[in-house]
Amino acid sequence: MNLEIILFILFSVIAAASAVIMITRANPIISALFLVLNFACLAGLYLLLNAQFIAVTQIIVYAGAIMVLFLFVIMLLRPEHDLTLQKKSKIKFMAAAAGIFVFAQLVYIIFFFSPNASQKTSVQSSINSGTIEQIGTAIFTKYVIPFEAAGYLLLAAAIGALVLAKKKFE
Amino acid sequence: MITEFGKIFAFFTTAILFVIIVYIVSKIIRPARPTYEKLTTYECGENPQGSPWVKFNIRFYVIALIFLIFDVEVVLLLPWAMVYKEYGLLGFSIGAIFLILLGLGMAYEWRKGDLEWARPKPVPPVLKKTNLTKIELLPVEENVTP
Amino acid sequence: MENLKTLVDSLYLLKPEIAISCVLVLVIIMDLIMDKNKTFLPYVALTGFIITAFLVVEQYFFKTSITQNLQKLLVIDAVGAFFKLIVILASCLIVYFSLISKEVKEAFDRHGEYYALICGMVIGMFFMISSADLIMIYLSLELVSLSSYVLAGFTKNSLRNSEASLKYFVFGAMSSGIMLFGISIIFGLTGTTNLLAVKSVMAAGGNSLTFLFASILIFAGIGYKISAAPFHFWTPDVYEGAPITITAYLSIASKAAGFALLIRFITLGYVQQIDASGAWQLVAGSIDWKKFFTVISILTMTLGNFAALWQDNIKRMLAYSSIAHAGYLLLGVVVLTNQGLSAVILYFIVYAIMNLGAFLVVMLIANKIGSEEIDDYKGLGYATPFLGVCMAIFLISLTGLPPTAGFIGKLYLFTALIEAKMIPLAVIAIINSVVSLYYYIRVLKHMFLTRPQNEDLVINTSFAEYVIVLVLAVPVILFGIYFTPIVNLAKNSVALFLQ
Repeated sequence: MNLEIILFILFSVIAAASAVIMITRANPIISALFLVLNFACLAGLYLLLNAQFIAVTQIIVYAGAIMVLFLFVIMLLRPEHDLTLQKKSKIKFMAAAAGIFVFAQLVYIIFFFSPNASQKTSVQSSINSGTIEQIGTAIFTKYVIPFEAAGYLLLAAAIGALVLAKKKFE
Repeated sequence: MITEFGKIFAFFTTAILFVIIVYIVSKIIRPARPTYEKLTTYECGENPQGSPWVKFNIRFYVIALIFLIFDVEVVLLLPWAMVYKEYGLLGFSIGAIFLILLGLGMAYEWRKGDLEWARPKPVPPVLKKTNLTKIELLPVEENVTP
Repeated sequence: MENLKTLVDSLYLLKPEIAISCVLVLVIIMDLIMDKNKTFLPYVALTGFIITAFLVVEQYFFKTSITQNLQKLLVIDAVGAFFKLIVILASCLIVYFSLISKEVKEAFDRHGEYYALICGMVIGMFFMISSADLIMIYLSLELVSLSSYVLAGFTKNSLRNSEASLKYFVFGAMSSGIMLFGISIIFGLTGTTNLLAVKSVMAAGGNSLTFLFASILIFAGIGYKISAAPFHFWTPDVYEGAPITITAYLSIASKAAGFALLIRFITLGYVQQIDASGAWQLVAGSIDWKKFFTVISILTMTLGNFAALWQDNIKRMLAYSSIAHAGYLLLGVVVLTNQGLSAVILYFIVYAIMNLGAFLVVMLIANKIGSEEIDDYKGLGYATPFLGVCMAIFLISLTGLPPTAGFIGKLYLFTALIEAKMIPLAVIAIINSVVSLYYYIRVLKHMFLTRPQNEDLVINTSFAEYVIVLVLAVPVILFGIYFTPIVNLAKNSVALFLQ
């Protein structure tokens, strides 16, 4: 067993366990903290797949900024009064059905589905394409316009978010 | 042969192990004699009252929102920063345009007062004649009767 | 390096986009520098839009269809330029509307954001109209959506308004998520996001069932923008809750961009070639768009027209009417021919004028009486004969009766259908038009045939309002009688399409 498999097992077990803990806790703050752990483990899994940029994004954006936002929203809503989630049987049934559906789909894809033979990418090029330098090069050679468009998108998001949030103050 | 990410992983593992070891060691060597008083929340010697859950100021939320947007911008700038040198001035200007837009968003937030905690409400001074000879500066709110 | 040089050399193709970006930056900076005095902001935006409109017209006469230069991300051609022109002219009119709208005036301390976000929407729509790459499609769609969520909830302290914004956001996030899922499936199948490359991989034989599924998922995102039937749920609430200027804007500009994107998506991603008669040959193994659009368009127009029958709020009624019109416009896409496309273009010119006009009259009346309920329109035809007559012109044109421009638009759409031998669909569309007559005429009945509630209500129209109403009302009649110029415009736009 090489290091890669050991690390994979370590990260995936922690990720799965923290995901289960996250959805079973009654206190949303604890749930949120386990979600952070889950995100961190996912970042580790991405690294094992040589997807460095996604791993960095996962840590900086998801485990960092989005979780901060989640926590503030939870604290803003002051959830002491409804600590327990709704336990309606209908919702439970729907959730179970959806879960079984996704599970069956995954089992099918992993064990019975042969990938399209006409699409072949070498392992080495797949490893290379995940590095930050490669993504930087792609930005310069292919995606200059979307890069600038993303700038406008974020500018509009910044202005729009403040307009809507400030509406609440007044 | 260890990769850069391997070093980071070793760093994290050390940090986690350090916390766990310290925790276990302190658990072993410290005396444990809990009483009711010791287990209550410490609130400057007073008896704790009410719930520790307080409603947060909505400004925290706005700040977190701004943080999220700039965080995404940082992530997009990372790959640009890694390679722009190869593309010379042209490559730099691509990121520069992006940064100008980012700066514009920043300027907007600053100018509109979203970065200040308590938004100041300046009271403009007005010239008020108390009598014909003396002119003094008075805030609007203070109605000084002459 | 070479690649980047080519891009810089072909920046002249992006003149309108660059111009509008400069307007955006200028508006924000002006807003920040001049803290209190914001009266000139709309004029800055208006000037910028007019300059951009000239640049778009210049683009219209390029006489080529260019895809190679801009890193294969954008297509610059006459059809795109036409839709850009619709967008930019609608933006000019909306800025003018905002100047006379009471609702917008009341939120005067946030005018900077208002105009900046409109500029943001224009940038997004320009990219949407010309994008040839799935990444570009997604980014531009998001840019348009984000700006319009905020604009829909722009008015201060109105519950209805906040609700509109929230609903718009939730539905929008949902549909863009679905679309992104479709894009990721296509990327997984083909390893590229460029529509032309996707088409060539698929033509070589791909996994067609998965591809079909992904195509429908992507259509969900586009269908949301044009408010086609199963994705239309947001439309009535948002149109009712948003400020009228923004409602009008969404119903024209956002829809124009959505249709341009749909046409672009189909032609670049699925059409193998256009034969001599102008029919679009689909790639073998691709989804049967003809049947798919037939179902969608029948659903959209029927639902829009029948739901509109029961509305008491005029903005809500116009929202359903705009859903119905999306259905009519889809008829032009159904036939998958160049004739159909030119009918869509023709209808869009007409639709833009008459719908903007109808919303303008609603806005002017709401400015005065403060209500948008159809019941409050009783006898308004006597209180303000000018607005009443103009409203009648716009509504008759929306129904599609001669001698208005709406009739010409519908005539060309139905002709395209009949040429493609889709008679049943044409019959359904005509029945739908008859149904729509009822709810349009109902407004006129309230305005002219009932006694006014308040006898001495007099609505004065200022000079600025007179001018803008006439600017919209005269072409509706004029193009109804003398329609050669717009027909030629539509034919010329399509002439160079995808050679």
